[in-house]
Amino acid sequence: MVDAAPPPPGTAPSLGPAPGPPPPGTADALPTPTRSPLLVVGALAAGALFATPFAYLLARALDDPTGVWAVVTSQRTTAPLWRTLQLGVLVTAASTVLGTGLAWLVIRTDLPGRRVWRAVVVLPLVIPSFVGANAFVAAFAPGGLLEELLGPLGIDASRDVRGLPAAFLVLTALSYPYVYLPVAARLAGLSPALEESARMLGRRPWAVFRTVVLPQAALAIGGGALLVLLYVISDFGAVQFVGFDTLTRRIYASRTLDPTVATGAGLLLAAVALAVTGIERAAARRNPPGVSLALRGARPQPLGRWRAPALAAVATVVGFALAAPVAVLGWWTFEGIRNPDARGPFGSVVGPTVSTAMVSVVTAVVAVAVVFPIARLTVRHRRASGGLAATLVVAGFALPGLVVALALVRLFVPTPLYGTYSLLVIAYVVHFGGQALRSSQAAVAAVPSRMEEAAQLLGAGRVRRLLSVELPLMRPALVAGGGLVLLNTMKELPITLLLSPLGHQALSTRVWQTAEQAYLYDAAVASLVLIALSGVLTWLLVIRRMEHLGR
Amino acid sequence: MHTTIQPRAAAPVRRRRLSRRAIAVLGAALILAATLSACGGDDGPRLTIYSGRTSDLLGPLLERFADETGIEIDVRYGDSADLALLIDEEGDRSPADVFVSQSPGATGYLAEADRLEVLPDDVLELVDARYRSDAGQWVGLSGRVRTLVYNTDDVDSDQLPASVFDLTDERFRGQIGVSPSNGSFQDFVSAMRESVGDDRTLAWLEGLAANDVRTYSNNRAIVEAVGRGEIDYGLVNHYYNLRAKADDPAVASENHFFADGDLGGLILVTAASVVDTADDAAAAQRFVRFLLSEESQRYFAEETFEYPLVAGVEAVGDQPALDSLPAPVEDLSELGGDLRRTQELIDQSGIAG
Repeated sequence: MVDAAPPPPGTAPSLGPAPGPPPPGTADALPTPTRSPLLVVGALAAGALFATPFAYLLARALDDPTGVWAVVTSQRTTAPLWRTLQLGVLVTAASTVLGTGLAWLVIRTDLPGRRVWRAVVVLPLVIPSFVGANAFVAAFAPGGLLEELLGPLGIDASRDVRGLPAAFLVLTALSYPYVYLPVAARLAGLSPALEESARMLGRRPWAVFRTVVLPQAALAIGGGALLVLLYVISDFGAVQFVGFDTLTRRIYASRTLDPTVATGAGLLLAAVALAVTGIERAAARRNPPGVSLALRGARPQPLGRWRAPALAAVATVVGFALAAPVAVLGWWTFEGIRNPDARGPFGSVVGPTVSTAMVSVVTAVVAVAVVFPIARLTVRHRRASGGLAATLVVAGFALPGLVVALALVRLFVPTPLYGTYSLLVIAYVVHFGGQALRSSQAAVAAVPSRMEEAAQLLGAGRVRRLLSVELPLMRPALVAGGGLVLLNTMKELPITLLLSPLGHQALSTRVWQTAEQAYLYDAAVASLVLIALSGVLTWLLVIRRMEHLGR
Repeated sequence: MHTTIQPRAAAPVRRRRLSRRAIAVLGAALILAATLSACGGDDGPRLTIYSGRTSDLLGPLLERFADETGIEIDVRYGDSADLALLIDEEGDRSPADVFVSQSPGATGYLAEADRLEVLPDDVLELVDARYRSDAGQWVGLSGRVRTLVYNTDDVDSDQLPASVFDLTDERFRGQIGVSPSNGSFQDFVSAMRESVGDDRTLAWLEGLAANDVRTYSNNRAIVEAVGRGEIDYGLVNHYYNLRAKADDPAVASENHFFADGDLGGLILVTAASVVDTADDAAAAQRFVRFLLSEESQRYFAEETFEYPLVAGVEAVGDQPALDSLPAPVEDLSELGGDLRRTQELIDQSGIAG
């Protein structure tokens, strides 16, 4: 992951290319922030790559424009579109409240056990949605595990877990971390001074949160909410499992039977994604992030008599979103141990674990490096080119992995990159890079330009300024963005299946293959390994790095 | 907005830890690069298989084939439909030599796109003419039978319907599970269209929708739901319940096979075909022939409970004999572009909504 302290001379940081190396001979000149052609070119090149899936859908639509138009305007796609929007709005609203509340409680208050919560609260993100939905249904459906456990006590806990309510619950549980992580990073980097003043003036915790914390975190909240929305409308696993017919189900059901329908539904999804991203961007531009540095730790906000209720709330959310699915997976594993006949020819998980870890870490680092120029361009220079690139980068997250994979196949199949790890990483970056963008923008905004200028006047070169002044300040946000990419890459399925080098084994494909074969117990073991690995990586690479500023 | 700047604190303390991390990341990248360059080389004969069957199932066969023939095998596993789309998108640069498909629909997609080579007669003739393409573009490997899984606690065996067309009766209201987005169900609907025509197929689908049919993501989810007692009946492929019974012999679900010759007992074949980009067609055909060997066929039957299609190899389990089942769709690939009509009918019936 990205690191902060100044490395010994000659050691390149893992961030990748520094944004726009200085033109020769100008190193000592005064800053000229609006003219950086290299930055513009880099951003546009990245933007073009991110545009590939959209261009691919358009190209497919041009094969049969009247057919696609008929599909797009028919009940066959407009009804799923409406359901997609319903689900998206509901989940986004709930996740935003949960993610923001949890971030504040866990980062800024004296919540008991907050260090432990920090590590686990983000983990539901890594549960593949079809696994989450399957566990949820197995637990709550009539005749399910909960009924088996509570039935003898005379409690009827079973629910009819289908359709919109089920999709809403499962996806909210899995996607609130999209809000939590950037907001937590923002709060960790906020100066505590305002909060402390408010507290000294006698404001209660809730009032401090509402009047001081919320406005400062608004941008991070908006960015996180956007990611939730895009994630939800792109989800296939959960809606498929609980039988809620959205646009992605339409794409999958018709992809070989009637490709015109798949293309039409894909275009509608893309249109929604671009529109929502554009709107969010416009809103965010009117409200640029304030610069605020916290180089000393904040004292936690005492919760007083709200400590117990707050703890109960956090425990409930984590219990439902993480402990419940893990318990179901654990139960299946236990059954598998008890009944060895039921297990498939389960291969070793060591190989898939190692390759999953390596590929996803590399992807996260590359993603942050690729979107960084765009972030800089949009925040420092506010160039239109940067804005366009930024919209494409973020909106690409809403397209199903299948579309992203096929688009990149069409583009790269004539090149030697095809079938290599490089293309796999490129595909992940195109799909998930948007998750690192908003955090990178926050990171850039966290460095006051005054400070850069000061360093420059003191004679620090471009690279040294980046390493010793900017990176330490940007670290929490960059790490949060990279963390989102990391977790998503680990669970991604279609891109992994279609674009991996031949013979590559990943944990996500292991989970899918065993589930496909109906070897539930083996699927459960592979899922647990995936969750454990993500826990270790997030702890090592993300949580600890975010922490040192906001203790 | 307000700014507090303090001189950097404690930076030197962190220096060592962080460079270790950087080294770890760099190391990972290097290992990746090394693995990358380690692939390739080697000039022996090679085959690339795209498989819609999982590695658990196909992997051991691939190893045996490589041992016997000295032909190196590369394999990409995935969903059959996704792999068909991938081959289509890769065009004439596709690395795929052989496509092993779990669903007739995916094979039909490639046949329609004219991406499959015609197999030699000695390969085709290993299986009955009903289980291979008339044009010779694919050959069946194993058969899966459509069946009605039911909950034995809630349903007496004398209540079981004789025909799949009975399921629109009032007495089944809200008690049937189907998976409209699943390839097997779609293939079944295509077969019904061919057998009784679009109008009657649509009427049946609409009858199910009006009967509050419940939809699930796949066969397995249906079998689980029936086992729990959430619903009484489900339309699935036969081996899912056999697998569920293997997991938990006490589970309250059983397969019901419709009366002889009823469309509800349709057989769906998994198929192998040689892709038109195959570099070494002879080696590719050799692999297909290997999958049809008695040994491989028996392996399929034992591992999956599916029907072997080569004459003389017996099915495992107590399902009805293969020749008592209705013939599969004449040739799904020859339904051609008409397959999209299946999707339209499913959509139109409102069954999926």
